[in-house]
Amino acid sequence: MIQFQNVSKHYENHTALRSLSFLIDKGEMVFVTGPSGSGKTTMLKLIYLAERQDEGNVTVAGHETAKLKESSIPMLRRNIGFVFQDFRLLHNRDVFENVAIALRIRGTHEKDIKARVFDSLKLVTLRHKSDSYPDALSGGEQQRVAIARAVVTEPTVILADEPTGNIDPDLSAGIIRIFKDINAKGTTILIATHNRDLFRDSGKRVLRLDSGNLVSDEVQ
Amino acid sequence: MLTPFAFRLAAQSLLHEKWINLLSVLTIAVCFLVMAMTAFAVYNIDLATKKLPEKFSMMVYLKDNLSHEDLKNVVEALRKENVVENVKFIPKDDSIKELRSFLKNTSFVLEGLEENPLPDSVEIKLSKESIALDSVKKIAEKFKGIKGVDEVEYGEQFLTSLNSVKIGIKTLGTAFIIIMFGGILFVCYSTVKILFYRKNREMETFKLLGATKGFIRAPFLIEGATIGFFGGLLSLAGVLIFYYSIILRLSLTIPLFKSIAFPANAVLLLPVLGFVLGITGALIAIGRIRY
Repeated sequence: MIQFQNVSKHYENHTALRSLSFLIDKGEMVFVTGPSGSGKTTMLKLIYLAERQDEGNVTVAGHETAKLKESSIPMLRRNIGFVFQDFRLLHNRDVFENVAIALRIRGTHEKDIKARVFDSLKLVTLRHKSDSYPDALSGGEQQRVAIARAVVTEPTVILADEPTGNIDPDLSAGIIRIFKDINAKGTTILIATHNRDLFRDSGKRVLRLDSGNLVSDEVQ
Repeated sequence: MLTPFAFRLAAQSLLHEKWINLLSVLTIAVCFLVMAMTAFAVYNIDLATKKLPEKFSMMVYLKDNLSHEDLKNVVEALRKENVVENVKFIPKDDSIKELRSFLKNTSFVLEGLEENPLPDSVEIKLSKESIALDSVKKIAEKFKGIKGVDEVEYGEQFLTSLNSVKIGIKTLGTAFIIIMFGGILFVCYSTVKILFYRKNREMETFKLLGATKGFIRAPFLIEGATIGFFGGLLSLAGVLIFYYSIILRLSLTIPLFKSIAFPANAVLLLPVLGFVLGITGALIAIGRIRY
């Protein structure tokens, strides 16, 4: 589903990724960990094409990203669900609209939108908050809205960048449980985090990065 | 691209940022109004200058001592020209009579003349289409070449001045209209640019969720078009009020105003122009979308 082959990414002052190679199969749930500046976010950016690698090949859902034209990027991103540390919710729209926007972008018919949004909100147990605005929700609830938005389009891959970074530690386990439920339905999930508690004894694969190098790839 | 959702987003934004949008609509309306007034003035001045040459005539002076046959031939040759509308032969005796009546009390200057110094002449009225500085010059040259013609006189100075006035007014008017166009474009551009900046984060989220460039652009284009259209519509109302409540009323009391023409069909284009400029300004404001 996601393959890196000798991928390197250089910035002006430093190298973010050095000859990175790994393969994530369809339906896997994988954690990427490492200290700040180790290259976790850069790795995710290469997957969703916010950045392009300088060397090597990245393949996502069968697409070799280096060969993709700019006009094809939206189509690639429609295969991916995003969950960010800062949630990236639209604060002038209610929870329903925040989730529905992902479907509207894809041109989903209005009558399907309602059912699918409520299904997603049920998954993250926020069905009752559909009329609330993000500012009226707790950090954990906002992150669950972001997850609902990521899954509502039934993507093949979900990328999560520090999904528990802005929420209380005791809520983190709940977020990971939701990801596991989604993964159980066959969605590939890649979570970048520096919080070891999230993957400790999870039985999931963990890629460890340090200064842009892949230093370990093992099941915890 | 122009989905119902794009219209909904645009409508929400228009209402949410109502004061910025209202200010832009008013600014565009004022610019259009000034532009329309300028075009209206230029149009009427142009019409008036077109009417002036109706009084224009060319004098062809003939050589002395031409036989009756020769005179007839010259007049016939002049009459045959396509550009000539009317030919009037003026014998030199009539000319001196006219001069005497013109001089009235000072006609003593002609005393002592043993013979009539004036030549026979032909007054020619040219067709309206041919009265332009260049073509009249050519016609005069051609007439000079006719056997028996001594000299050709036409209001060169008058035509040159008229030409300069026409060119000057048209150039100034066009320049002013272009500046106003630029102004309207800039208002549309800056309004959409402000809205685009304000929604920058939202647009970034849309991009991550797989929004196409068309999906991102559409609400802004609709907004720009709406602002431009309503600016044009408001100015149309202003122009109609100006014409029907001022010019038309004045024409009832001041005859000069009766000759003012109102290009009614052209002013209906104002909202369309606003629409087009609004979309263009919005397109420039959004610029290239990068992922």
